Amino acid sequence: MPTTTAAAIGAAQRRVAGPSLARRLEANPFTWLVPVAVMLGVFYLYPILDVFRLGLTNASLVGNDERYTLVTLRAMFENPALLDILKTTFVFTFASVIGQQVLGLAIALIVMRGERRKLKGMVALRTLVLIAWVIPGIANGLIWQMLFSEAPFGAINSVLRMIHIPPVAWLSDPNIAMLSAVISNVWRGTAFSMIVFYAALKAIDPTLYEAASVDGASGSQKLRFITLPQLRAAILVNSILVTIQTLNTFDAIISLTGGGPGRATEVLSLFTFNTVFRNYDLAGGSVLSVLMLVISLVLALGYASLLPRREASE
Amino acid sequence: MTLEAREKWGDALTYLTAILIAAFFLTPLAWLLSLSLRTRQEVFLGASRFIPKRPTLDNFAQILSDPTFLLYLWNGLKLSALGGLGCLLVAAPAAYAFSRFWFSGKSALMMTILAFQMISPLVILVPLYRYMSALGLLNSHFGVTMVYIAVSVPMCTWLVKSAIDNIPKSLEEAAAIDGCSRFGTFWRITLPLAAPGLASAFILIVILNWSQFLIPFLLLNKDAQLPISVAIFNFSGTSNASTTQVLAAACLVAVVPAIVAFLLLQRMIVGALTAGAVKG
Repeated sequence: MPTTTAAAIGAAQRRVAGPSLARRLEANPFTWLVPVAVMLGVFYLYPILDVFRLGLTNASLVGNDERYTLVTLRAMFENPALLDILKTTFVFTFASVIGQQVLGLAIALIVMRGERRKLKGMVALRTLVLIAWVIPGIANGLIWQMLFSEAPFGAINSVLRMIHIPPVAWLSDPNIAMLSAVISNVWRGTAFSMIVFYAALKAIDPTLYEAASVDGASGSQKLRFITLPQLRAAILVNSILVTIQTLNTFDAIISLTGGGPGRATEVLSLFTFNTVFRNYDLAGGSVLSVLMLVISLVLALGYASLLPRREASE
Repeated sequence: MTLEAREKWGDALTYLTAILIAAFFLTPLAWLLSLSLRTRQEVFLGASRFIPKRPTLDNFAQILSDPTFLLYLWNGLKLSALGGLGCLLVAAPAAYAFSRFWFSGKSALMMTILAFQMISPLVILVPLYRYMSALGLLNSHFGVTMVYIAVSVPMCTWLVKSAIDNIPKSLEEAAAIDGCSRFGTFWRITLPLAAPGLASAFILIVILNWSQFLIPFLLLNKDAQLPISVAIFNFSGTSNASTTQVLAAACLVAVVPAIVAFLLLQRMIVGALTAGAVKG
């Protein structure tokens, strides 16, 4: 083709003249990474560095008179509330992670079995679970508030009343409020675990199950000796990802309980938010942000170490 | 018991569990719908009027006839879509580089980008609030959109990379032989071929942006600028027992677009997610 030849000659001529700056730039992979690097640099790296710096000052959200001091750091770690907040955060996160994974695995197993037996409605079930996942966090909190509400329109209590069981203080009893917060979080978060487990289950070699059947293994034995060991990596990775997601959960709690009653459901992210944007204590909030960052970083490193090394195989 | 009989019992058990699980996931949404269709009197009758005797669309009429509420919806859509579009523009070149170039430290760099995903937006918003204020970017949709882009860029890069991975290189090579520049190839060949993957990444990010609360909540103060997620939160603060049915309708209007978008593209989105999950 003449045009192709002409173009090839053109390219050849350019090569003789040496590649233009544009060509040299586009041959360098790092040129292509500039937009992402700028966005992450401006909106993540710089703020993160600043969070470390602000933690060592007495900065406030109002007023600009700031000095470097260790007082904030000490005050924050001597704050008796912090230990309670961390405990609350741990309980909320741990219960959510267990709840989401157990339920997510159960649903994935049911959908797998249903598909194997060609039962109807399995796609509908999976879709329904996924729908909860796209509900905005704020709406999630508000919807569950309407279910847990102790007012006449609260769904759960009005059902309890109909069957003559005394109503439960879902949101006003400090101990039960935590359970309520976990339930609403599990409702929204389970889909993620379900998808991960579903993909992992599909990847298990079916001959393992066939061999076990020949040996006369029962369903529960197959689950214990084949499925769970095969899912070990998925469970580990999933645990870390769900932990990070739950630690960062903020909107679903602020709209469900607002951290109350008292401080019963005030998790670390909400405490940080309140410190900065309600008490205007920018320095104190920065110390807490660093704490959140360190926890996420440790978890992220754990996650990275669990991933298979792919570069070697490529 | 024969094998077949045992399987039949298993099927029954599977259905039973599936129904229980479906009930758990469906109840909150069904309750929301039920409340939103009731009159104020029926709201106080609780579960006994799960199916309202006199269903009404007044609550929806009330919020949808409110121009401010429509503005909240529009703001939500605008911020989500601009954030999604901007994110694709920023992430696509990086995704191309990760897919088509080989360079040392590539996988470490990709992991580093992913690590940003693990950082709570709250951590960056603590200092960002002050910068944005100093730069005059508080109360601006531009400022919020930029933060949306930054927050979703890590995930977007990974999604677009796997979309580009699935395109055969031969067409790009043909274009290069024809003298097309690398950027030209990327723009005219790679991106159009990756359109389905780009579309599913876009939709997924728009859905996630639609849920964003913290960023607009902190960076926007003017009522007329708020997206729907912040607006329903503010509304819930001012609502009381006698306006619950209106709040329910507002919530439903806020969640339905996300659900519809998800249902339309379920196959693509689940595909993108599982691909990510399997590959890590």
